Amino acid sequence: MARTDSSTEAVRGRAHTTLRSPGPGHSPLRRSFDRALLAILVSGLLFAVLLVALLPLDGPASGVLVLFPINLVVYLLAGLLAWYNRPSNRMGALILLAGGAVFLGGAGNTEIPLFVIIGTIGASLPLAVLVHLLLAFPTGELRGSLERFTVGAGYVTAVFLQMPSYMLSADGPAPTLIITDAPGLAEAGTAVQSAVGGAVLLLTAGLLAIRLGQATGLERRVLVPLYGYGIVAMAVLLFSTRLVRTLLDWGPEAVGILQLSAFLGVPVAFALAVLRGGVARTGELEELGAWLGAAGDEKPAIASALARTLGDPSIEVWFWVHGRSTFVDVDGVDISDARSGERRGLEVVELDGRLIGAISYDEALMPDPELARTASRVVAIALDRERLTAELRSSRHALQLSRERLVEAADQERRRIAQDMHDGLQVKLVLLALEAQQMAGATGLGSGDQVAIRATALRRGIDDAAAELRGLVHSVMPAALIQRGLSAAAEDLVDRMPIPTTLHLGVVDGECSPVVESVAYFIVAEALTNAVKYSEAQRIRVSLVRREASLHIEVSDDGRGGARTPGGSGLLGMSERIDVLGGTLVVDSEHGQGTHIKVEVPCG
Amino acid sequence: MRVVIGEDEVLLRRGLELVLGGGGFDVVDAVGDARALEESVAAHRPDLVVTDIRMPPTFTDEGLVAAARIRAQFTGTAVVVLSQHVQRRYAVELLSDRAGGVGYLLKQRIADVDTFLEDLREVATGGTAIDPDIVAMMVARARLSDVAVGRLTARQQEVLALVAEGRSNASIAARLFLTEKAVVQHTSRIYDALSLPVNSDAHRRVLAVLHYLNQE
Repeated sequence: MARTDSSTEAVRGRAHTTLRSPGPGHSPLRRSFDRALLAILVSGLLFAVLLVALLPLDGPASGVLVLFPINLVVYLLAGLLAWYNRPSNRMGALILLAGGAVFLGGAGNTEIPLFVIIGTIGASLPLAVLVHLLLAFPTGELRGSLERFTVGAGYVTAVFLQMPSYMLSADGPAPTLIITDAPGLAEAGTAVQSAVGGAVLLLTAGLLAIRLGQATGLERRVLVPLYGYGIVAMAVLLFSTRLVRTLLDWGPEAVGILQLSAFLGVPVAFALAVLRGGVARTGELEELGAWLGAAGDEKPAIASALARTLGDPSIEVWFWVHGRSTFVDVDGVDISDARSGERRGLEVVELDGRLIGAISYDEALMPDPELARTASRVVAIALDRERLTAELRSSRHALQLSRERLVEAADQERRRIAQDMHDGLQVKLVLLALEAQQMAGATGLGSGDQVAIRATALRRGIDDAAAELRGLVHSVMPAALIQRGLSAAAEDLVDRMPIPTTLHLGVVDGECSPVVESVAYFIVAEALTNAVKYSEAQRIRVSLVRREASLHIEVSDDGRGGARTPGGSGLLGMSERIDVLGGTLVVDSEHGQGTHIKVEVPCG
Repeated sequence: MRVVIGEDEVLLRRGLELVLGGGGFDVVDAVGDARALEESVAAHRPDLVVTDIRMPPTFTDEGLVAAARIRAQFTGTAVVVLSQHVQRRYAVELLSDRAGGVGYLLKQRIADVDTFLEDLREVATGGTAIDPDIVAMMVARARLSDVAVGRLTARQQEVLALVAEGRSNASIAARLFLTEKAVVQHTSRIYDALSLPVNSDAHRRVLAVLHYLNQE
C-alpha cells in the first residue's frame, strides 16, 4: 500500500515540473543547431575584436568609433539569444544580419583600404536592415508584396543610391571607388537617396500603422513601443546628419554618437519583443513538436508549453470526460459556461475522430484561429496521453475503492445468508424436532390415526423447511445458471415474475464467460426484484443481447421511476460487479417515466 | 415393475431403493453416474428409470441428457427425472419428442411417499408427471399474459393445473373431492375457453395443455 501511494505522489509531482526550455541534449538536430550558433558567436566576437584592433580609437572621433564594436556585440548577443530560444523564428537571424551591417559601418572607419571600400559601399545598410526588421516582425518573414517591395526599396536605396556619394566626389572616403569628380552630381545623388529613403520610411511607417490598426489591445502593448522606437531610430539614421547638425549645430561626432546609440537599442528591443511573446508566431509550432518529443519524465504540463509557444499566458487546456459529456480542467474541475466567456477562443482537440479536449485561448492574443487549430493537432496525442494518465490515476483509485466495496459486499451477502438461515430454517427445524420429540413422548397414549396425522404434519413442516433451503440455495447460485447458462437461468427468473415480463434473448449460453453470465444474471435478478418491490410497473421488458463482443443487458419497466443510483444498495452492488468486468451501467429512472437499466459488459 | 435408479448421493440412492422397494417396485440396479445409468439400462431394459438430473462428472444436467437418450433408444422404458430445482425449459425439453412415460419432479416430492409412488406408477404405465411447482408457475405466468386463462374460475384453474401435471380424471376427481363427471365438465369448459380440441387421450391432453401454457 505504502508503495502504491508514494508512486502516485511521484506521478503527481512530475505533473508540476516547471517549463524547461528546449535546451541542449534533446535531439541531434538541436545539438548541431547549438554548435552552429556557437560558431556564429565565436566568429562574431572575433570580428568585434578585429574592429577594436583596427579602429583608430585613440584618434579624435573615438567616442563614436568605440560604439561600433559595442553595437556589434550587442547585435550579436541579442540575435543569438532570440535565435537560440526561437529556433524556428527568423527574427534572430535578421538581427544578426543587422549586426553584419553594423560591422560594415565600423569597417568603413578603419584605415585598411579593403575594409574602407566595403564599409563605404555598405554605409547605409543599417537603415535597410532596420526597415526589414520592422516589417518582418514578429515571424521574421515578409507577408505581403507591398512589404517585400518596401524592404527591397530600402536595400536599393541603401546600396545603389549610396553610390553617387562615394563615386562622384573627389573627397569620397574610398579613393579607389571614385570614377569622376562631379560634386554637383554627388550632391544631387545624395538628395535623391534622402528623398527615396524618406519615402521608404513613410511607406514603412504607413504599413506599421495599418498593422497597429488591425492589432488587438494586447498586441499593441508590444507593437507600439517597438514600432515607435524603430521609426524614431530610422528617422535619426536618415535625417540627423543634416537636420540635427544644421538645426542644433552639433558636431559630426555628436551626431554619430546619437545615430549609433539609437541603432544600439534596436536589437535589444526586437529580441525582447520576440522573447516576451504576446504576439503569436506560427513558426514555433515546431518547438512545440520538439517539446512533445522530449523525454516523458521531464515534460512540463501541456498548458505551459502551449502558453509559451503560442505567446498566450492565459491558455488553458481542458479534457473531455466522456462519461459525463463535459470538459474539465487539469485539476478535474468542471468547466462552467462563465469560464468560456467573451473574447475566449475555443479550439476543440480531436484524435481519430474522438473528442479528447479543448484549448481555451485569448482571441486578442491569437487573432488567427488556424494557429490554435494547428497547435491542437500537434498536441492531440500528448493531450490524449495526459488525459489517459489522469483517467488511469483516477481509475486506479476507483479500483481500490471498488475492491474494498466488493469485499464488503461479499461479507454482507454472507451475513444475509447466515441471517436467513438462522431466522427461518433454524427456527423451523427446532420446532420440527420439538414436534417429533412430543410425538415420541406421546406414542401409546393416542390412537394410531392421531399419530399418523401428526407425523404427516411433521413431514409437511420438513417439506416447507426443505423448500426454504432450496429457495435460499437457489438465490445464492441458481441451478440453471450452473447447468445451462445465462439464458436458461434468466428464463426461469422471468417465468417466476408476478408482473407480466417479456424476455428477449440474443445470446447463446456459453458465449460469455461464466463470470460474465453470473454477473449478468444477478443484475437481471436485482433489477427485477427492485421492479417488483418498488416500481408498481404493469410490464417489464428484459433483453439480453450479445453484440460486438459485448453483452447488452436491458431491464425496463413502465413503473413510477425514481430509482436511486448508486444510493440503493442493490444498484450499488450491481455497479460494483459491472466495474469489475470493465462494463458500464446506466440507470435512467425519472419520476413517472419508468426505470430503464442498461448495462454493457465485455463478452469476448 | 423393474426399476433402475441413477443418483450420486449414496444416502438418497439407498433411500430411493427402500421407498421403491417398499412400494412394490423391483429395483434391479442403482448407480451413481449418468454413464453407468445408460449402461445399466441397456443391460436390464427396465420398465422405469428414476434419475437425478445433476450427477458426475460435471454435475450439471447429465441426468437430463441421459434421460433423453434413454427415451429415444428404449421406447419401453419410462423415465422420471428428479431435481433440486425445476424449470419450464427442462420440462419442455423432456416432453419435446413425445408425452407419456416421462416424469419431471422435485426431489423433495419423495418425502410424500404415496403421491410419489403414484406418480411413478403413472409414468411407468405410460402416463406423464410434471411437478406441481412448474405447472403452478406456468399457470400463473399464463394468467398474467393470457386473457383466456385469466378468465377461468379458480376451480377451473385448479383442474387445468392438475391436467397439466398429468393427472387422470379419476385422480383429479379424488384430489378435488369431485365426481369424475364434474371433472369432465370442467375440462370441457376449459377446452372451450382456451379453444383447445377435446382430446380423450390422456397423454395428448397433457401435451396440448402444456403446449398452450408454454406459449409466449
